[in-house]
Amino acid sequence: MTRIDGRLVARCTAVLAGLALCATAHAAQKELVIGVSDALTGPGAVYGLPQSNAVQMAVDDTNAKGGIKVGQDVYKLRVVAYDDKANPTEATNSVRKLIDRDGAQYLLGFCCSGPTSAVASFIGRENVTMLVGNAAERAITAQGIPNLFRTRPPADFTGSAAGAFVAKRGVKTIAVIGSLDVSFYSQYLEAFEREFTKKGGKILAKETFGLKDRDMTPQLTKVRALNPEALLVLGYVEPCAFVYRQAVELGMKMPRYGFTSGSEEQFLKVATSEQMEGVWDLRPTELTVSALGERANAYVAEYTKRFGIPPSPSSPYAYDQFYVLKHAIEKAGSVDPKKVQDAIRSGGIPPEAIMRYLPVGSAMFDENGQAYTTNGAFQWQKGKWVYVSDLPSDPVAYSKYLRSLRK
Amino acid sequence: MSRALRVGIGAAVALAALALPHALTVPYFLHLTILACIWTVLAQGQNLVQGFSGYVSIAAGGFMAIGAYASALLSVKGGWPVWTSMALAPFVAAALALVVGYPSLRVKGHYFAIVTLAYNLVIVTVLNNYESFTGGEAGMPNIQRPAALVLGGLQLSFAGREGYYYLVLLAAAAATAGGALVLHSRVGRVLIAIRQNEMVVDALGVAAWRYKLFAFVASGFLAGLAGALYAHFIGFLNPEPFGTDQSMNAILAVTLGGSGTLLGPIVGAFLVVTLPEYLRVADTYRLVVYGLLLVLATIFMPRGIVPMVSRGFRGMATRLAAALRPRPDPTP
Repeated sequence: MTRIDGRLVARCTAVLAGLALCATAHAAQKELVIGVSDALTGPGAVYGLPQSNAVQMAVDDTNAKGGIKVGQDVYKLRVVAYDDKANPTEATNSVRKLIDRDGAQYLLGFCCSGPTSAVASFIGRENVTMLVGNAAERAITAQGIPNLFRTRPPADFTGSAAGAFVAKRGVKTIAVIGSLDVSFYSQYLEAFEREFTKKGGKILAKETFGLKDRDMTPQLTKVRALNPEALLVLGYVEPCAFVYRQAVELGMKMPRYGFTSGSEEQFLKVATSEQMEGVWDLRPTELTVSALGERANAYVAEYTKRFGIPPSPSSPYAYDQFYVLKHAIEKAGSVDPKKVQDAIRSGGIPPEAIMRYLPVGSAMFDENGQAYTTNGAFQWQKGKWVYVSDLPSDPVAYSKYLRSLRK
Repeated sequence: MSRALRVGIGAAVALAALALPHALTVPYFLHLTILACIWTVLAQGQNLVQGFSGYVSIAAGGFMAIGAYASALLSVKGGWPVWTSMALAPFVAAALALVVGYPSLRVKGHYFAIVTLAYNLVIVTVLNNYESFTGGEAGMPNIQRPAALVLGGLQLSFAGREGYYYLVLLAAAAATAGGALVLHSRVGRVLIAIRQNEMVVDALGVAAWRYKLFAFVASGFLAGLAGALYAHFIGFLNPEPFGTDQSMNAILAVTLGGSGTLLGPIVGAFLVVTLPEYLRVADTYRLVVYGLLLVLATIFMPRGIVPMVSRGFRGMATRLAAALRPRPDPTP
């Protein structure tokens, strides 16, 4: 009969026990896919790529701290990001791929309104949670889609505050140059005009340019002949930077107001700091350290270190999305999207949030799934956007208005 | 290829197409297949003008937009049944093609291409700016799918992707069958003659413009049908997907698959839809890789994939037949 070595038995037992422990630990640690659909190339990439980076950064930080603990399980997170090129069909394809193939139940990103609206048209039928970032088209949250939330306020929420601000500064006549065929700029202008004319102001001209236009001198020449007291420029960063630059080149010295949300680096690619001097940006109080404080400072430093360039002002909308989601999952004690949606709806502002949100009641999101940030007046001073003051904003009244649009 | 073999291959392809939704484990691939079928309808229309008569139209995206918006507006704003809207939309696009095609076909070659490019730009600009009607850049949400049909006690629902797949498959098959009918008719022969030498056609007393106009209007009709199918599948419309990029992709689908062939537009449509999606692994370089692949394909396969593959098969068959032929006895 073969003699069994006692030490061998002990070693085998130890190995088996070790394997069993590993298996238990492995079973408790799971993976959660975070899907990102955003414009990573093309004209929308100035907003989409920084958003995607911001989500990746937040996820990396969370993973480095051990992941998200849900009951007995710990979830490590994996980001799968696809380029939607700011195109509705591409966005539909990338979101379908995220849901159907990659198994993503949480979708973040969404910087541009057209593709976001396309996804919003079917997302209500899916068992997923969608958090929208920079896309500002009002209709996205006006429909009351139960599994859709947005961190950025709609453009007209800011537009009316901007109209009141410009009128208060004594401007009586203004000319508008902008991407007026892009809906959220036209919605901004509509709200701006309502407040501005209510206070006695008059819009002398509305000139439009395309997203890819770079020569704005025809519009500027036409506007100059009308002799307005100020200029209002609405659009994506690059074309607007050309407007500011060419206005100076044409000798136009009137105050220039705008709504672009571009960073210093983005503007300085097109215009010099001298050409930008004195320009106002009237927008949600986005990433300006002087307006948002130390947490924003740390965010800018970390982002710059990791990606080699400073973040765009609107990128924290996506960073904040992730922390909204993280706290909602922890609060729900589940990764079931429906329970997580309930937790988001009743949850407050996450402590890691970079933007300054205005809660509606005690919650961050209103009944439409919409969050509101403060609006601010920023002015270009010596190469930097400087926060000057808040713009008057009423999220409760706007929330009621948004609810009234639902069919 | 013998007739029996052709029928056999056709039946096998038809069976595979019918069984596809049950064979796919990831619904995302069904989503892409639906888009590819819609693209097949568009590319078959483009093939009538570009492949058969040799005229390059850069307005396919614009006519697709007309079909999409016509169907969406009739059903969403007009309150018409979706089926009626979808059925009428191609006729709206065809009517516009008739109106703009009549003066446009007076010019030839590159000038015709430039005129149609202008139409596409005008259509997109109008859709963008006529906000009160089209929703402009903000678009039109909540475009419904067609209602379920009951045929012989069997309910066919189109709310899900599987039902919609069969609808677009039917449309793609009908567009291909329509192309085959034209190709093998007198009209098709005249169109091909126009492609080869329009002056000779005119000299023979054939009114070439009538045939070209027919091809242009039929192309507009199919683009309109593709647009209606697209609108009710995606559920949201704005002018972005109907720009000149879309028209160029329609040209590309025909060129890549095989201009003037029946199978070419099908192959081209599937490539144009699926290739950029599969290249997502190349991340931000995917469009560079896509562009490079297209350039290489155009250089090395100028007549398209289908003619090249057909030639390859014919060569193989000839060699096989030669190898199987009994050799003469070498002994004296």
